[in-house]
Amino acid sequence: MTDESTPSLLNFIVDRAHVGIFVINRQRELVLWNQFMEIHSERKADTVLGRNLFEAFPELPRKWLDRKIESVYILKNFSFTSWEQRPYLFKFQHNRPVTGGVDCMRQDCTLMPVKDDSGEVQYVCFTLFDVTDTSIYQSQLQELTETLREMSNRDGLTQLFNRRYIEQTLDTEFQRARRFRHPLSVILSDIDFFKKVNDTYGHLAGDEVLRVVSKRLRDGLRAIDALGRYGGEEFMLVLPETGLDGAKILAERLRQAVEAEPVDAEGQRLNISISLGVTELRDDTEDYQQLIAEADSGLYQSKENGRNRVTAVGAPR
Amino acid sequence: MTIQPYTEDQNDALQEVVNIAMGQAGDSLARILGNFVELSVPRIRLVTVHDVINTVTEMVDYKAEVSAVRQAFSNSLRGEAIVIFAQRGADDLADLMGYDTDLDSAAEQELLLEVANLLVGAIINGISETLETDLSFSAPSLMAERSPLDTVLVPEQLSWSHALLMEVNFTVEHRDFKCHLLMFMTEETIDTLRGILDDFLDDF
Repeated sequence: MTDESTPSLLNFIVDRAHVGIFVINRQRELVLWNQFMEIHSERKADTVLGRNLFEAFPELPRKWLDRKIESVYILKNFSFTSWEQRPYLFKFQHNRPVTGGVDCMRQDCTLMPVKDDSGEVQYVCFTLFDVTDTSIYQSQLQELTETLREMSNRDGLTQLFNRRYIEQTLDTEFQRARRFRHPLSVILSDIDFFKKVNDTYGHLAGDEVLRVVSKRLRDGLRAIDALGRYGGEEFMLVLPETGLDGAKILAERLRQAVEAEPVDAEGQRLNISISLGVTELRDDTEDYQQLIAEADSGLYQSKENGRNRVTAVGAPR
Repeated sequence: MTIQPYTEDQNDALQEVVNIAMGQAGDSLARILGNFVELSVPRIRLVTVHDVINTVTEMVDYKAEVSAVRQAFSNSLRGEAIVIFAQRGADDLADLMGYDTDLDSAAEQELLLEVANLLVGAIINGISETLETDLSFSAPSLMAERSPLDTVLVPEQLSWSHALLMEVNFTVEHRDFKCHLLMFMTEETIDTLRGILDDFLDDF
């Protein structure tokens, strides 16, 4: 410290510094409460000094905090809290009420032992830092990372999962279904006469058909199902916890959803239908590629038998 | 190339200081937990950035997932302590530390940080008092969570060529909990420590 450090200078700094500083004795009674704490808690020092911290602030997590304080007294060591595990100690307003996007101040806290001449800890000094800005940047960064990850898994045109990701999903679900012996089904589907739509009405019309069919398929799914764009006009659905009977019912419902309404594309009202192949995981299924191959053969049979229909592969239960 | 930074006397002194400090850490943990804490014999090694992974893997024989907390110390001696927790058993201390036994992930992280802080703080204090030198330390932070051991330290990210490594492991009586504490001191510190050890030896 400096020679200039008269008590009044130090007092001023401790009181007015832009961090929360408060001190408790062994009985957890407040002996110092600086201006930062006054302003943010809206409690003047003379209304809290001499009172038990937990009695004055009953919202504090008493059991956890009291044990933490005790460890500082016993071990004579610093202790810390971080906003990342515990967003705040005191529920204070923060200084970004309009732009912040968080409900209250995020805080990092340091507990410092204050020893007397014999080395015993007489007081614990808390320093409370407002880290709201940091927490906001961190959240934004995490959101951005999540968005990037999502984008790398999605097909740009239809917003469905891309081929790589839907296959990866099937791989994961296959292993899980195998391991826990749960049902799993796969549907492969494609748009009937899609090439003709492109050739007759142009690629913009084809794109719109893809978008609309994707939406109708997506709307017909449960939260647990995964839907991806497997090929140009081909779709794969992965249905966990679903056996062949349930998958057939779902496939038929999707077929009807696509057929029910014409698709408006490039000024045309187009009658669109899909063909589907359905299969389920059985004890003798070797790998997830076999599921794809079986669903594909079901799809092929649907095409051969006139399109706009569902064909299930494998014996029903 | 083998580096012998210290004389035999200095090495003995260092081992004794570390034994005292690590023992103090075990005592601290026991006082807070109320259970008996068992400590291994502290090991001291000089490592290069190339063999650090092998050395750590050999010392910390956890095959399953681990979590790791780091905490830096500074002033006369500079470095970082890394506490590696076997994932299984990490929550076994929850009730002893004043948490509900049903921990969400934030509470579990907080528990690991708290235990690491107890251990590292006690060791730093122990070294500081025994060597009569000033040491301070900063807040702990999470380095890895439920990851394989060999992902905790990435050699490409380490900017040093040699470091002094001190290691000890802790287990708690009647509990599943176990952890390893690794203290790394930087190259400059290896030099500084030599002088401090000589002062320590002179006092005898």
